[in-house]
Amino acid sequence: METDVLVIGCGPAGVQAAIHSSRKKASTIVVGKPSNSAVSGTDIDNYFGTGEVSGDSMLANGIAQARSTGAVFIDENVVSASASDGRFVFGLEGGETVTASAVVIATGISREKLGIPGESELLGKGVSYCAICDCNFYRGRRVVIVGNESEAAVSAHLMTSYASEVSWVAWEPSVSGNLVDRAVGAGVARFGSRPVAIEGDGRVERLVLEDGTTIPADGVFIELGARSSVDIAMDLDIMPEMDDTIKVDGRCMTSVPGVFACGDVTGKPWQVAKAVGQGCVAGMQAADHAKGSR
Amino acid sequence: MVTELNESNFDSFVESNKIAIIDCWAPWCGPCRRMGPIIEELANDLAGKVGVAKLNTDESQAIAIRFNINAIPTLLVFKDQVLVDSLVGLRPKEDILSYVNGL
Repeated sequence: METDVLVIGCGPAGVQAAIHSSRKKASTIVVGKPSNSAVSGTDIDNYFGTGEVSGDSMLANGIAQARSTGAVFIDENVVSASASDGRFVFGLEGGETVTASAVVIATGISREKLGIPGESELLGKGVSYCAICDCNFYRGRRVVIVGNESEAAVSAHLMTSYASEVSWVAWEPSVSGNLVDRAVGAGVARFGSRPVAIEGDGRVERLVLEDGTTIPADGVFIELGARSSVDIAMDLDIMPEMDDTIKVDGRCMTSVPGVFACGDVTGKPWQVAKAVGQGCVAGMQAADHAKGSR
Repeated sequence: MVTELNESNFDSFVESNKIAIIDCWAPWCGPCRRMGPIIEELANDLAGKVGVAKLNTDESQAIAIRFNINAIPTLLVFKDQVLVDSLVGLRPKEDILSYVNGL
């Protein structure tokens, strides 16, 4: 697929960016899952003019508005990103590829830690948060990937090229069938119960699940959520700040021309009002950039 | 430029510095690429006091195995040629400086 503007993230910042981008007659695709937005499942009571409103209805209304202006929504995650000759290419979890002239990163802040016993104690002793960084240390060893979304599925598939046994724990899986089939087809064993503890004497020896299952393992890779804003930024040659935020200028443009960012990913305050304000700017600027490069 | 270590010069570097901090990294590791500029700055800031170097774990796997490195980036910290710490994960320059000052 080809588009003028690709928006990554389907929260208030991304949806607002899509509204303004498509109103400027730039073809616009939004990739992301509204249920992953920080406002999903919450009530907003400090946004101008609305009174108290549910985050989910705000998102649904916003998506309908953006659709009415021509934006296309894809309820998937981005699993890969690259840049070439001023164009940006993204792989989606369903297997499709999207090429865009301008990008808006509006992925919000992702949670990395699982928060279970053994996790921090065994960091670097078998616990890892980056399969692509550490896969080489697990050649011929047994690993477990933990996570419900696309990054876990991609990591599990990757690890089958290195580890002797790969298990994948997803207790509330939200991954496209394409990625699941690819992982399972490569020999990944699936488990469906929530992890409760990582155990081992000085190094990881096993992962314990809520249903009592124990998975023997030399490594536990915690890969929660989708490919993070930090990873996507680095794929596009943008160096994130130490607090994992992405620096933007007054036009919401990052250090790479054509790549914009808005919302929580640019830093505090983590407020809907700031997210939609930046989304407006980023969407307009991305549309102008894309149309200028036609 | 930060000294690049490998299997032939690793031990002599540790022996020739009272305190040595070695950044273990690999090219495809995102957090390692973010650590790179921090290590460059630390090498300048700590010149003459602490030996700061880098080790590509992909090219020097025997050293990674020798020091039980399972995750990168890892900072190996040697004092008087003894490994006193393995600091795992990306961390700000200020944190590393205050750690070094406490050694």
